[in-house]
Amino acid sequence: MSALLKSELRKLIYLRANWLLLLWSGLFAALGTVAPILVLNSDSGPGRGAFSGTETQEGINAVFANAAGGYLFALILGILIMTNEYRHGTAVGTFLVTPKRSTVLVAKLIAASLAGLVIQLFSFIFAITSGFIALTFFEPHAPVPAELLFKVFRASAISGLVLGIVGVGLGALVKNQIAAVTGAVIWTLIVEGLVVAFVESIGKYLPAGAITGLVDVDFGENDFNFSIENYLTPGPATLVLLGYAALFSLIAMRTTLRRDLD
Amino acid sequence: MSGVKIEFKDLSKRYKDVLAVSNFSAQVQSGRVTGFLGPNGAGKSTALRCLLGLVNPTGGSAEIYGGSYSQLQEPIHKVGAVLDSRGFHPGLTAKQNLKIMASASEIDFSRIDEVLELVDLAGAANKRTKGFSLGMKQRLSLAIAMLGDPEILILDEPANGLDPLGIVWLREFLQKLAGEGRTILVSSHQLAEMQNTVSDVLIINKGLLVAQGTIKEICKGRSLEEAFLELTLRKSA
Ligand SMILES: Nc1ncnc2c1ncn2[C@@H]1O[C@H](COP(=O)(O)OP(=O)(O)OP(=O)(O)O)[C@@H](O)[C@H]1O
Ligand SMILES: [Mg+2]
Repeated sequence: MSALLKSELRKLIYLRANWLLLLWSGLFAALGTVAPILVLNSDSGPGRGAFSGTETQEGINAVFANAAGGYLFALILGILIMTNEYRHGTAVGTFLVTPKRSTVLVAKLIAASLAGLVIQLFSFIFAITSGFIALTFFEPHAPVPAELLFKVFRASAISGLVLGIVGVGLGALVKNQIAAVTGAVIWTLIVEGLVVAFVESIGKYLPAGAITGLVDVDFGENDFNFSIENYLTPGPATLVLLGYAALFSLIAMRTTLRRDLD
Repeated sequence: MSGVKIEFKDLSKRYKDVLAVSNFSAQVQSGRVTGFLGPNGAGKSTALRCLLGLVNPTGGSAEIYGGSYSQLQEPIHKVGAVLDSRGFHPGLTAKQNLKIMASASEIDFSRIDEVLELVDLAGAANKRTKGFSLGMKQRLSLAIAMLGDPEILILDEPANGLDPLGIVWLREFLQKLAGEGRTILVSSHQLAEMQNTVSDVLIINKGLLVAQGTIKEICKGRSLEEAFLELTLRKSA
């Protein structure tokens, strides 16, 4: 098992595309912290009166909560880990070396969750650092409590672990790399956001809604019409996310164990 | 048990509306080179994929060392395979691809240079396989198959894409491996080439076994090509 895990990690490290993805995750999450700083403090547009800016705690919360936003890239990397095997025909070699496909999948699921964790840790640090730098242009601002950073860090780590696994399951199910990645991007950036925003009763159970609940910080009703009361508390939110990890691990197993390879 | 290490037992594989392999039974003698011949679409690749546990038979079985491939402990040390599909990542170098395989089966990396040397690919070890010619890819597949120094080799059209020089090289390569007492099951359309390389022949057509025996028994004085054409045409008429 450990040999197989090493082999999976080797695949991850060798591929340049994976390093690019890591970089993109950082840029994406940093955009999530920097953009609201600019918008909230903008004098033009909706007018200074419309936003309370980063002088308020809620403004600061809204900025730094986004540092967990790189989880889409953990999901994409999970998808790539699985679909690369089909796209390039390496699944054949992989399963010739290890015919017990469940063992291969366990190694892939572990590798994907570790990779998701790395992506989220990197993008978290990148986004927080960018946020602090951007804030220096808008002094004074409300303090950034350690508790806030801890909560976002916790959500980053857990969502990275979980979404890497979800990606493997999705990749195993869909097989076609482009379809799976496109679907995941559309789902995460558009569909899920709309459901979470407009159908809260369902949205809070979706991955994005659960991650929001896990972040557990309030942005306030004023600027965002957002209330953390509408989301799960961190405990149940974590359970929901672990539920997704279990479900997609099962999907990965069920779809791959007896599939014909050509 | 030492006589037969590969056996197809009433093997069938049906894809939706195609019966790719149909109640196919045959044995491959160990320590010999067996040519696996048949027209396009006869079911050769499918039978070999069943043997390697990549495709699930819909009936019967294909056994290796008396059981299914998936039951083998450390199969890469027992069986090496070259299939008709590429099995490596284009974005990685030849060496990186081999390292991935080697680390999954705890094979020492020093073996990688050996197999690259063995297939005359040492010069391209650090090149991305994206830029490999068909012949280079075929050699890399052979290198991967040889990684675990297996006793049995299963080769699906290994001559595919090789130039005349490459074909001569492959012939000598296979003869050397056969001389070491390995069991080789090789499918090919290059009948003249096969005639000089194989000791036994298995012929399949439309999923059915057409003939099996030593090359002498099959040819009966004719060339392998004549025997092949007669056997496959007669059966399908
Ligand atoms: N994955 C698949 N799905 C559906 N049909 C398939 C699949 N693989 C093979 N077949 C069909 O099974 C039959 C046997 O194919 P196979 O590839 O085993 O033949 P082959 O003897 O290797 O031919 P060739 O000499 O052209 O390589 C063909 O009719 C082919 O179309
Ligand atoms: Mg074939």
